Amino acid sequence: MVKEIERAGIPVVHICTVTPISLTVGANRIVPAIAIPHPLGNPALTHEEEFQIRYNMVTKALKALETPVDDQTVFDS
Amino acid sequence: MRLELGEIQISDVKLSDCSKVENGVLYVNTEELRALLLEDEDIASVEFDVVHPGESVRVMPVKDVIEPRVKVEGPGGVFPGMISKVTTVGSGRTHVLRGCAVVTTGKIVGFQEGIIDMTGPGAEYTPFSKLNNLVQIVEPKEGLKQHQHEHAVRMAGLKTATYLGELARSLTPDEVKVYETSGVAQGKDLYPDLPRVGYVLMLQSQGLLHDTYVYGVDMKQSLPTILNPTELMDGAILSGNCVSACDKNTSYHHLNNPVVADLLEQHGKTINFVGVIITNENVYLADKERSSDWSTKLATFLNLDGALVSQEGFGNPDTDLIMNCKKLEAAGIKTVIITDEYAGQDGASQSLADADAAADAVVTGGNANMVIHLPKLDKVIGHPEAANVIAGGHEGSLNADGSIDAELQVITGATNEMGFNRLSAR
Repeated sequence: MVKEIERAGIPVVHICTVTPISLTVGANRIVPAIAIPHPLGNPALTHEEEFQIRYNMVTKALKALETPVDDQTVFDS
Repeated sequence: MRLELGEIQISDVKLSDCSKVENGVLYVNTEELRALLLEDEDIASVEFDVVHPGESVRVMPVKDVIEPRVKVEGPGGVFPGMISKVTTVGSGRTHVLRGCAVVTTGKIVGFQEGIIDMTGPGAEYTPFSKLNNLVQIVEPKEGLKQHQHEHAVRMAGLKTATYLGELARSLTPDEVKVYETSGVAQGKDLYPDLPRVGYVLMLQSQGLLHDTYVYGVDMKQSLPTILNPTELMDGAILSGNCVSACDKNTSYHHLNNPVVADLLEQHGKTINFVGVIITNENVYLADKERSSDWSTKLATFLNLDGALVSQEGFGNPDTDLIMNCKKLEAAGIKTVIITDEYAGQDGASQSLADADAAADAVVTGGNANMVIHLPKLDKVIGHPEAANVIAGGHEGSLNADGSIDAELQVITGATNEMGFNRLSAR
């Protein structure tokens, strides 16, 4: 899906846990997620803490979207 | 370590009022066994049935398959940390009831349970159609949580296998096989010219009912470690998992691991089989990186020249598999991976979710997406409607006439990634 949307000219950020698979399938902007069963949350935390994690991750993804890249890039800092 | 495996051939299993083995027939006192299993307050009912090779019977949804065994000499007992105390096993003498197994079924726990057909095309795909199986239909108490349900069914299977194994304690085996392994340094002295080969055994550990237990330890909470091959034969590794039926390693597979069997067979002849490195398949990327680093580090500690890596399940564990392969190869250890494929129903898609040029020696257990038709059989033990929800099935998989159209995934053990089964690809 990432590749097809980009093929249509719309840049995509792939938020995913297993970034090596994302690299293998050809995503250009990759933001690491938390874990496979809960990519944008963490059931061990409170709802407020989870919201903060999610907010930060989406913010990071939006920044990645505006960042020019020459090659496949994992935004893991 | 030296383990004698005394094999008692079982030609038939019969439900009875007295448990014993006589002239190769296993008689099971169902009332006594039921009372034992109902000691678990999470279980509402247990029924038993026996299925034989060639019978027109389908068992589903299957959770686990277990071979009855008993430790008769030496330290510890079978299924350590689960049934017996955690004492290290793998030496002395163990008796095994060959040709039979305990198969657990009952209301579905998780969607990744399987089908065993005893005849027809389905039977060709599962090794368990060749055994005389004691099927136990375990139904949970109302309102039980999913993980408690899984625990209850898992323990019921192990208890039955232990109960039956105990019947073999004082029997004279038909055959005694001896497995002897060398210590790391001793192996080097004994076989200085043979290549040092290890086995990296990947265990499913994704949580949410996808777990494997080693001496009772949930493997997702462990770092990779080393086992002596004979420990597996006493049940050091047990399945607690509902991965796709076709490529989950049942407890039977762990007890009879074919990679271990073949490596031991060649030990001292063409190779020096140094040991088994067990590792996990967790859901955090950091765990995948850490565990593959560690399995490679242990392989380097063991000074391996070559490694065989077997996977369990598919999808994100493909990344664990490729990480293990890449890192082992980068450490100068020649590596072969054993996996299976999800290449689409037409077999034309990429087989694994991850790939790397270092994975240049691959053995496959077949394409799990292949579509199969399972004709109606005379009898179904368990819950046939599970065909519509198990992985590989879809709403409508169970046809009105009782036949099933689904992907090969639904068959227990069909594309086993230890190479236990016969499917492969060129």
